[in-house]
Amino acid sequence: MTLTATSFDWVRQLVHRESAIVLAPGKEYLVEARLLPIARSMGLPDVGQLVDSVRTRPSPESTRKIVEALTTNETSWFRDGDPFTALTSTVLPSLLSARGPAERLQIWSAACSSGQEPYTIAMLLEDALPNASTRVAITATDLSREMVECTRAGRFSQLEVNRGLPAPMLVRHFTRAGNEWQVSPSLRRMVTASECNLAAPLPRMGPFDVVYLRNVLIYFDLPTKQAILRRVRALMRPDGWLFLGAAETTLGVDDSWERVVIGRSSAYRPLKGN
Amino acid sequence: MTLAPDAVTRPTQPRVTIPELIDEATVEAIAGEAWVALVGEDEVLVPLPGDLPAETVSAWVDVVGPWTGSVVLTTGRQTAADLTRALLGQAAPELLDHEDVADAFGEIANVVGGNVKAALPGPSTLGLPQVGEAPDVRNPEDVCRLEVLWRGQPLVVSVQGALPALPTPHQNPPHPNGASL
Amino acid sequence: MRALVIDDSRAMRRIVSAALEGFGYETRQAGHGQEALDVLQEGYVPDLCTIDWNMPVMDGLQFVSAVRANPAWRALTLMMVTSESEQGQIVRALAAGAHEYVIKPFTADALRDKLALLGMLPEEAVL
Repeated sequence: MTLTATSFDWVRQLVHRESAIVLAPGKEYLVEARLLPIARSMGLPDVGQLVDSVRTRPSPESTRKIVEALTTNETSWFRDGDPFTALTSTVLPSLLSARGPAERLQIWSAACSSGQEPYTIAMLLEDALPNASTRVAITATDLSREMVECTRAGRFSQLEVNRGLPAPMLVRHFTRAGNEWQVSPSLRRMVTASECNLAAPLPRMGPFDVVYLRNVLIYFDLPTKQAILRRVRALMRPDGWLFLGAAETTLGVDDSWERVVIGRSSAYRPLKGN
Repeated sequence: MTLAPDAVTRPTQPRVTIPELIDEATVEAIAGEAWVALVGEDEVLVPLPGDLPAETVSAWVDVVGPWTGSVVLTTGRQTAADLTRALLGQAAPELLDHEDVADAFGEIANVVGGNVKAALPGPSTLGLPQVGEAPDVRNPEDVCRLEVLWRGQPLVVSVQGALPALPTPHQNPPHPNGASL
Repeated sequence: MRALVIDDSRAMRRIVSAALEGFGYETRQAGHGQEALDVLQEGYVPDLCTIDWNMPVMDGLQFVSAVRANPAWRALTLMMVTSESEQGQIVRALAAGAHEYVIKPFTADALRDKLALLGMLPEEAVL
């Protein structure tokens, strides 16, 4: 055991602050097991040194890795379902009427993790549009190369498909492959995955009609949040839609967005003239 | 033994054995997921062999379909009891009886077996869990065996065919016109 | 909300019941499909049934068909919770009238996600 009581306490407080999840005393073993791969990937011999390093030189990237390693066992499909309901109920009809029939809708899943979010969007669109594969392009990006590769592969474990994926969608859009489930070729064709660091200048992409940027801003300080929102807005169509995480908002961060309530969720749209 | 160049394969369909259908890594992934989800989120199975104690217990389910056999879990009696406690968590009674262990260990075999079945060509049917002395291995070629340690104690997952081995080809070359006996 | 947990394994009944009670459900248990039908016929009609597939006496698929054949039980939400995980089996269960399908092994979080999809999570357990 390399984790001192002080280090464990620091990790507990970090996780509680970022995710509202409480790590009970006695979970030192879990922290060790989950964080050791991160320590190794950073060239550090053990978890104690990882914590020391992040405490002395905080970085949103390492913080996010630590919090995710301790909080997300599997990402849910339809995570906080409301932003997906909003897509099919309001956003899609509005975009279809505003765009020409040959114009391809561009959607960006900006922190795609292992692929649940982009494929959730792809399934919804394939079920809603007869020609989804030619009408829509989904760009999926993540900071982590490993996550990008998972997204590209489109293979999910039994435990992953159990997390909030409706059974009728599972049998319609996936096939069993050994002990895993493989997403259908048509959905994979709709999704293009690549690495992207939101905190750095963004590559040429878009322009996007819809952006899902959920549960990312919480890890950054105010100036970085502002810079990210500014860069994202530059890649969006003027009448585009931005979805943030349930605990996130542009209010008080960047006033060049208009908040629109759609059912039980909120979307943000670029304000004109900014 | 070499067959004559004009030897004809026996017209009976070749029976597919389990190593052609599933590998140890897949069985390990299935068992690992069952442990993490049911036994506890930090309960890992370490893929290392160990010596089973003298007193063991097995739980298994039968799979009947294109491939027919059993998915058998075997471990020491004490380990099966520990597994039962871990599975039941807060709901575990102070004193476990034989029924509790048979039920819980049988259910773990059902969960592992159901997922092994789904990874094989189907459709197949799954039997109800049985607990006791493991069914015999009928054909040593038709076995996929995984040895793991859970909390340092050995446990074996054996996916084993229920049918005896096909007779080995005759020493004599088959009849020239391919007829078999 | 009320749930009837149907599984031939006592351990699994306890695990599913404990998870549902954690979400605010009141639970009862049955060891196979016929026992569950008897509970329904006695007049205990829950909001949700969680149903194992392979059970003695009456299996889960037969139970689903029996419930769907009785219009008085139309409001009942049926969720399979089983290690049967062939794609064809899932299709069969949905066709017979099951609303959702949870594959064993599952975590309590997976049950909660599926109930949220069905709008079957008591309000205080949301999030």
